[in-house]
Amino acid sequence: MARAFLREQDCYVGLLESTERTVLHGLMQQTRLLLSPEIEPTGDAFDDLVASMGVSLSAADQRADDADDAEGTAAEADSASLADRDPALDRLLPTAHRGDDQIAAEFRRLTEEGLRQRKSGNLDVALACIDEAVGNRVVLDESQAPAFLMALTDVRLLLGERMGMRTEEDAEALHAAMDDIDDDDPLGYAMAWYDFLTWLQETLTQALMGTDLREVVAAYDDDLDDDLDDTPDDDGPPPGGRV
Amino acid sequence: MTAATLSLAPVEQEVTSTDEVVAPDVPWVTIVWNDPVNLMTYVTWVFETYFGYARPKAEKLMMDVHVKGRAVVSNGPRESMERDAEALQGYGLWATFEKDS
Repeated sequence: MARAFLREQDCYVGLLESTERTVLHGLMQQTRLLLSPEIEPTGDAFDDLVASMGVSLSAADQRADDADDAEGTAAEADSASLADRDPALDRLLPTAHRGDDQIAAEFRRLTEEGLRQRKSGNLDVALACIDEAVGNRVVLDESQAPAFLMALTDVRLLLGERMGMRTEEDAEALHAAMDDIDDDDPLGYAMAWYDFLTWLQETLTQALMGTDLREVVAAYDDDLDDDLDDTPDDDGPPPGGRV
Repeated sequence: MTAATLSLAPVEQEVTSTDEVVAPDVPWVTIVWNDPVNLMTYVTWVFETYFGYARPKAEKLMMDVHVKGRAVVSNGPRESMERDAEALQGYGLWATFEKDS
């Protein structure tokens, strides 16, 4: 059985069994593959910065399977690839402007490569943390923990999209369907891992924040009648206090 | 983080220039939309981490997203809103930007 991520001095430690590490590693690799930037991170901060602006410094940085290397074809490639690209990418790299396709396309042109690089970078950090687990202990330092958290988010976004979970209603229907699903149905298998990753991410987030969600929901319900007022309730523990 | 350069105060500066097609001072907004995947705690953490919002404000915005389906999380010039939307998408949130109406 896995154990939640807990804070230990300067780091966060979760216990994941071999199977759990293998499955998580595989899901992160799949997400990494889908998000692969045109220009892979080089490890050099300056080169990566320039690359994120859509300019290649070196032909060696190009992936071998990317046929388009001329800059002039970039715009055409953009519109062509948008039409037939994996719908999961629309969830990982969503439209940033609803209602104006031109603004959305311009934003995408300027930001998508950088976003792919940052998300890939997070997944690389998380994959390395799993690789470096000693026994069942997955140890994250202060800088690795946020990357791990964002990597888990992207994995769950991909998994959720693959299961058709696009709205709250979808999510409820999927969970309801689990009650009488066949044991060997791959959807049940995917859902079980999705729920596991949800739990795992929740524990890491709470370890980072020291928060108790039930207090947050109760405080919000109390505040609904009040005017917009950011001051915390007088009674009850102050938000942000360690639980 | 970015908190020092961000203000939620409405932009009150009068636009007098006529040689601009788009008035630069019209405030834009960054919106985060509800989705079934992102966790309530995680969304709160993102608002705290990226914007530097205090816990109560981050939680209030998170609950607005969860209950009302969307929340305006920042406002300001278009360039800032594009930067916020891009950053929040980097965190995996469903963020958009638009001209405030």
